[in-house]
Amino acid sequence: MNKYLHSLMGLTAGLSLTSSVLADDTVKVGVLHSLSGTMAISETSLRDVLLYAFDEINTAGGIKVGDKSYKIEPVVVDGASNWPLFAEKAKQLLEEDKVAVTFGCWTSVSRKSVLPVYEKDNGLLFYPVQYEGEELSKNIFYTAEAVNQQATPAVDYLLAQGKKKFYLIGTDYVYPQTTDLILYKYLLLHGITIENIGGGLRKDADGKVISAGKYVPFGHTDFQQIVAEIKQFAASGDACVINTINGDSNVPFFKEIVAAGLTPSDCPVVSFSLAEDELRSMPTKDMVGELGCWTYFMSLTTPENTAFMKSWFDWLGTQTHPGVIKEKRAVDSPMVLSYDGVYLWKQAVEKAGSFDVDKVRAALETGTDSFAGPGGKITMQANHHATKNVYIGETKANGQFKIVQTFDQVYGEPFMLKGLDAKLGAK
Amino acid sequence: MLIVSCLTCLGAEPGLRPFYNRMKSLRKYLAILTWCAAAGLALAADSGGPDSPAIRKELVQVILGIDGDRQTLLNDLSETGSKLVGDTLLAWTRGSIYLYPSPDGTKQPVLLEDAQDATGKARAIRLSDGEFLKDAAGKELRFGDNDLIAADTDMRLRSAIRQTVDTLALASPDKDARFSAVTKLGNSQKSMYVPILQARLTKETDSTVKRAILEGIASLQIGDRDPQVQIAAVGHLAALHSIGNLETLQKLAASPKTDPQLIKAANAAVGSIQSHIWWVNFFGTIFRGISLGSILLVVALGLAITFGLMGVINMAHGEMIAIGAYTSYVVQNLFGTGFAFAINLPFSFMGKQLGFSLSLPGLNATGWFYQSYFLFVLPLSFLAAALAGLVLERAVIQFLYRRPLESLLATWGVSLVMQQLFRMVFGANNVQVNSPTWLLGHCTLNDVSFGYNRLFVIGFAIMIVLGTWLLLAKTPLGLLIRAVMQNRSMASCMGVRTTRVNMLTFAFGSGLAGLAGAFLSQIGNVGPSLGQSYIVDSFMTVVVGGVGSIIGTVYSALGIGTADQVLQQLLGSPVLGKIIVLTCIILFLQWKPGGLFAIRGRSLD
Repeated sequence: MNKYLHSLMGLTAGLSLTSSVLADDTVKVGVLHSLSGTMAISETSLRDVLLYAFDEINTAGGIKVGDKSYKIEPVVVDGASNWPLFAEKAKQLLEEDKVAVTFGCWTSVSRKSVLPVYEKDNGLLFYPVQYEGEELSKNIFYTAEAVNQQATPAVDYLLAQGKKKFYLIGTDYVYPQTTDLILYKYLLLHGITIENIGGGLRKDADGKVISAGKYVPFGHTDFQQIVAEIKQFAASGDACVINTINGDSNVPFFKEIVAAGLTPSDCPVVSFSLAEDELRSMPTKDMVGELGCWTYFMSLTTPENTAFMKSWFDWLGTQTHPGVIKEKRAVDSPMVLSYDGVYLWKQAVEKAGSFDVDKVRAALETGTDSFAGPGGKITMQANHHATKNVYIGETKANGQFKIVQTFDQVYGEPFMLKGLDAKLGAK
Repeated sequence: MLIVSCLTCLGAEPGLRPFYNRMKSLRKYLAILTWCAAAGLALAADSGGPDSPAIRKELVQVILGIDGDRQTLLNDLSETGSKLVGDTLLAWTRGSIYLYPSPDGTKQPVLLEDAQDATGKARAIRLSDGEFLKDAAGKELRFGDNDLIAADTDMRLRSAIRQTVDTLALASPDKDARFSAVTKLGNSQKSMYVPILQARLTKETDSTVKRAILEGIASLQIGDRDPQVQIAAVGHLAALHSIGNLETLQKLAASPKTDPQLIKAANAAVGSIQSHIWWVNFFGTIFRGISLGSILLVVALGLAITFGLMGVINMAHGEMIAIGAYTSYVVQNLFGTGFAFAINLPFSFMGKQLGFSLSLPGLNATGWFYQSYFLFVLPLSFLAAALAGLVLERAVIQFLYRRPLESLLATWGVSLVMQQLFRMVFGANNVQVNSPTWLLGHCTLNDVSFGYNRLFVIGFAIMIVLGTWLLLAKTPLGLLIRAVMQNRSMASCMGVRTTRVNMLTFAFGSGLAGLAGAFLSQIGNVGPSLGQSYIVDSFMTVVVGGVGSIIGTVYSALGIGTADQVLQQLLGSPVLGKIIVLTCIILFLQWKPGGLFAIRGRSLD
């Protein structure tokens, strides 16, 4: 069987001989996102911004290793919103295409599914989407927001605004569950009492809290009961809602919030899964003043962001990649973190003077690899997470965010539960 | 639109006059007097109103954030009782006050008119004098949303503004505005509002607002130092069943510092409020159950006809619903800026890209006319879906009446094709459908809140059930439909044109699904897979009710809806509730395979 495969590969190698002569100074880079299925709506944007970053680097002369410069040759594969398929595609990227690095994954479950593949084949994966933490693989670099770079700063902001009651609601899967559990402990630590944390608690046999907040399945549409509960919870006027609902369930949720007369000045909702891209299909006129928290907003007016936006929209207009939609595009935090990841990797390669995974990892782990991205300076830490700015924004009627607070250079901390448990125990 | 009209015709409103007398700020009163003297009283009747310039000036100051503390300015403004102030401040919090950099280097706050021209631009109204902005040549300037920078607010400032608007609104002629103003002040925990509220109480005529004022005063007085005042306040709150103050009362009762008499009073109040909450939840749950049941009913009624009566396992029912929802999107856009789409086919012919496109101009409607778009949606969505149903029946289903399994596969295929069509025309993302304002909002009866959209769906369900019943039971067509559905060949022998009846019945069933879609666009997502999320619920409702029985569908929809909401309330989890409902349905169908109202007949189909 193996022999047969080898001869097959030899055959294809023979066929592509001409192109491999041309491709002497190129390096293969994998892009692993869902381009079909339910996650395609979000993930195709990441594919697009990666292609943009590669084009930008290639135009500027490529990656310089030693005295040679290499052009990036993207290998785009489709995970098709199918988690086992993600693992197969990862294997294909690493073992057949022999990519130097992969940029990819959106959902935590897809990342968990490819993780063993990257560890076994010693590959390199950059992961760009806000996640729940509690994970650290030597083969994955997380440019994503850790919980302490999104959820806890948002809570800090609300506490500073004088909010005393927190209602937790989310979609029922690993990211909201873990984040809310962390937030539950974080709130207890900040003097919020258990009865002022809404949504309900679930305890195991020993009475230990294993889940905090109210959870709905993906695609849930009937929020009457939950919003009625929030309304009673917020009757005293100092409450807010922490929303980790994912996907289009947010529309019926916010429509119900509006119908119930809950306004952001009485009871603001802070959402962790709604960025500019998602807001394009939301009733934003009724959501003015609701909060968001990310490490990048399109409304940033830094020179880096202005230049980035101009260049990105110019590229969109002129590019000829198949399947990249030109009209009505937005930029959001996962896209920018994907883009930042490409440059962090490029710099590490140039510093290491090699595409070798171990050498590049060593360069990234020095903690000095930093890049002035559109969202501000981002620095890769030794623990594979990144230090970056965190912004709190209020939704505007046009679907953009008005930045109301900036937390400068927040250190990415993936393991929060242990620390919180220890502190709570000590209390 | 509303704001604009208020800005320009404020002075003509005689009802504002009494407010001036109540003004406490002597300084402003003097300023206005001087101005009146200077400008001549004759102007006041037809132009900007006597207080406009002074108020306008202060508004400009507060928005630009120059000349003095915003808070004091806001306090000043709150005492004017002017509608102009309220509207402008609200527009400001919504980000619709823009800063126009005038040629002399200063910034001028402006409002954009609601009416936009074809390029999405609108005239700008200068806040300082209520005139349109003009360039040097005297031509009116026009701006789009993104041409100007909106005047900033942040959360702190916005809550200050809200407070201003609230105090302002205490004197508003609109009782809802007064009500929410009173509630805000009552929750503020600032005892300085007690005299303001007491003063208002003597003038208030509306009973709900009066009740809110009493509650507000009592909840502010709980923070009083005198235990006697506190006990009286607690008594008031208990009598008023104040839910918002439950926790305050519980804390008061649990605190060791509290006076023993007060503890007793507080405990009694807590008990009385808790039993009130139980009743509120009880009735609220029943209402939500009926409303969820109505949604199920509206969604399933079309299927009760196409599947129940006609026996076609119509998997494309969900897509008929989606057609209704997309109709509502298209009509909304036609009332707004227009609707256009273009599809490029993936191949070309003789060097030319094949495809088709459609571009419909919009009416650019505003105000109540725009808000009424939904009334046009209802008949149009029925027609659009009925037409689609007609085509589907003629093209596919008419060949499959005796082969239910094939009809399942064929309609499933049709549903996939239609979903892909939606993606090509409207894009893979969900589209935005804004609800008309008269469907937003809610009314409250004894603390049970009734959303207008929920009330609407209940009325809507009653209407279409009545309509369907009338059609089937009282019209000649209904008679024919029933005859054909009972025995196709026999009806045909009696001279009924069965093909035509089949066609019309299927179109009617599909039209009902379209109506359902029009309503669903108001409470949820409109996207290509909208139909998928309702198809299972529809079949479930029809099967539980008894295939072939319309009244069975009504009972089963209401039953499932109420059971779902009651269990959700009891178990505190939407998922657990649903699991139990589904399990009960499975068990129920074991016991009564024919559903609630099984049709007994001698036919063997």
